[in-house]
Amino acid sequence: MTNPGADSGNFDIVEHYNGLLKENSSISSPVAAVDSLVKMIEKQHATTMLEFMMIVRTACDKLKKATNNSISLSAGCDVFLQQMARLSHAQSVDECRKALIKAGTDFVQGAGRCRDNVAEFGSPFVRDDQTILIHSYSRVIMGLLRRAVKQNKRFRVYITESRPDQSGLRAAEELYQLGVPCEVILDAAVGYIMEKVDMVLVGAEGVVESGGLINKIGTYQLAVIARAAKKPLYALAESFKFVRLYPLSQYDLPTYRSDLLSFKDKAAAKVDWQAELARSNPMLDYTPPEFITLMFTDLGVMTPSGVSDELIKFYLD
Amino acid sequence: MESPKQHSAAFSRELTANIEDFIAKLKRGELQGSKTVALKTANLMRHVVADSRWDHGETLKQLLKTVGRRLLKAQARELLIINIVCRVLHIVSEAAPQTNGRSTTITAAAATTMTASAAAADTAGLRGSETPAMGLGGSVSSRNLADQVSTSLLRAEANLYHTKSDIISEINEYITEVECAEDEIARNALDHIHSSEIILTCGRSRTVEKFLLTAARKRKFHVIVTECAPLYDGHEQAKALASPNIEVVVVPDSAVFAIMARVNKVILGTHAVMANGGLIAASGTHMVAAAARHHSAQVVVCAGLYKHAPSFPFDDDRFNTLMAPDAVLPYGDARLVDAVDVVSPRYDYVPPDLVDILVDENGGHLPSYIYRLQQDLYDNANDLAWNIPDQ
Repeated sequence: MTNPGADSGNFDIVEHYNGLLKENSSISSPVAAVDSLVKMIEKQHATTMLEFMMIVRTACDKLKKATNNSISLSAGCDVFLQQMARLSHAQSVDECRKALIKAGTDFVQGAGRCRDNVAEFGSPFVRDDQTILIHSYSRVIMGLLRRAVKQNKRFRVYITESRPDQSGLRAAEELYQLGVPCEVILDAAVGYIMEKVDMVLVGAEGVVESGGLINKIGTYQLAVIARAAKKPLYALAESFKFVRLYPLSQYDLPTYRSDLLSFKDKAAAKVDWQAELARSNPMLDYTPPEFITLMFTDLGVMTPSGVSDELIKFYLD
Repeated sequence: MESPKQHSAAFSRELTANIEDFIAKLKRGELQGSKTVALKTANLMRHVVADSRWDHGETLKQLLKTVGRRLLKAQARELLIINIVCRVLHIVSEAAPQTNGRSTTITAAAATTMTASAAAADTAGLRGSETPAMGLGGSVSSRNLADQVSTSLLRAEANLYHTKSDIISEINEYITEVECAEDEIARNALDHIHSSEIILTCGRSRTVEKFLLTAARKRKFHVIVTECAPLYDGHEQAKALASPNIEVVVVPDSAVFAIMARVNKVILGTHAVMANGGLIAASGTHMVAAAARHHSAQVVVCAGLYKHAPSFPFDDDRFNTLMAPDAVLPYGDARLVDAVDVVSPRYDYVPPDLVDILVDENGGHLPSYIYRLQQDLYDNANDLAWNIPDQ
């Protein structure tokens, strides 16, 4: 077991990560994770390569555990670990640390541009007179729609309320301020409204190897209905959200807990169903690739089958 | 965006005349047929490389892009022009990887700064070098950088003359590929066509004609050709297919669904193949493909690699044009002409899920594989910022 005093004594990575998310609402969790990892390695002083790698891996594990294996955070950590593995070969610990710090800092600073690139590639698909349906609040989608507004395109947006956190309302407020006509619809009204919609846009927590999508609960439902109504569904994701997972079903995600929706004995005379709902419902679901028409990433527009190619190029270097 | 005037100094008079002539022909719609347009564009690109003044791979690419933009302005929806220009740009990138063509020993550090400055100077479009070096896109560009450094060191001794002649010979090879595309595709015919099969094809396509005639040398089968109104070029296709081993039947477009139950296989030509595997094909093709899907008949599309367009179909009509409505409703019919809007689209968009297999010179591929093929044919297939005029 490596010397834990080197990092845990003066730097709590989980605290730093949470702090970043709280103070900056536009930062996404993989970027915050990489930033925290960079700060951590700046502070510690490992002497051998093995110790260094162990410290970084332990920190990643700590972050994953603290967020219940959040998919996007895991994606960010994996990118960082892969970069570390690449840099560890021919260099001394100090050089490796410096290079890794630089790579991490560039990554954090470039992450905003990633989102802009996604918007650039996706913008020709948003055209005048369209009705768009979006799910919940996604920073990448907001970026794309903001860009479309700047290009003077006129379109309308339906936004799903997205319970239980009602993040769709935040999206509606932002779009309303931009002057885009928008309506918030019940999650249950997606089937009702789908015929009026021209296309569906969703963000992503993670994009898996099969080309499928992990996103806020309700996305899968949206995708199935879109397919049935023959409407295109476009997914927007930055490339650092590609993860090396291959879920075979909804219950195959790392965030799965066996106590979700498990009919467990509530052991109380009166149950607060609202609180129970918030506690025992899943927050993420998996959308298989056959429901996704195209994916807009900062590497360009790609079909879902293109995702595994990019992953192979990166991880099996 | 630089004006063409800035580069006109780089073009000789003969070259300028050639460009103007081509643009005039495009505007007047005198050039018909995918292959004609493709070959003319490729020849023009070769002329630009050979005749214009440039000393740097990047300058040449800018010149080619300028010419490409002017051609597109003349005929904005002609996908083949985009295909050829992007392909030639890729050839130039491979032959002259962002280094100065002059003979200088290039160190790795210098190559890095040169790439960085070339990247900064090229303001048209986005590149992978803008995404962070850590992360997925970054690994691709860093790998490209490593390749570039090694090739640039190898080419350190190469001078401008060699680069130019390399590029021109590559373009010549490409022109030969385009000319022989149909013959190469026809070599796969025997794999796809078996004896006593009933094959349906739509309208006129020289690629499909060669494909079927090659198979007919060894196999006996039936072909049903749809007329394909309003051009009725199905009639010519039927005449062209006349051969001892092929029984040809011409049917009107309205009979396609009815007859599809008897058909084993549908073999189609196309005008262009999009990056998602969808097709921009002659009007009437979507109907044939949908009927085939309904009856579970296999849909085989024969298209040369020069027809692959580095673009996704933003909407069904972006790459479509309208033909004269006279063939649908004659102008002589005075009462109707005033009261009715007649639309005669030239092309159909066929979505990739209606296509089973795409046969090109290298064999058969799934539509979901096309994006991968295009990565080898074109640089940065998503660098569309310069070429598709947003209308």
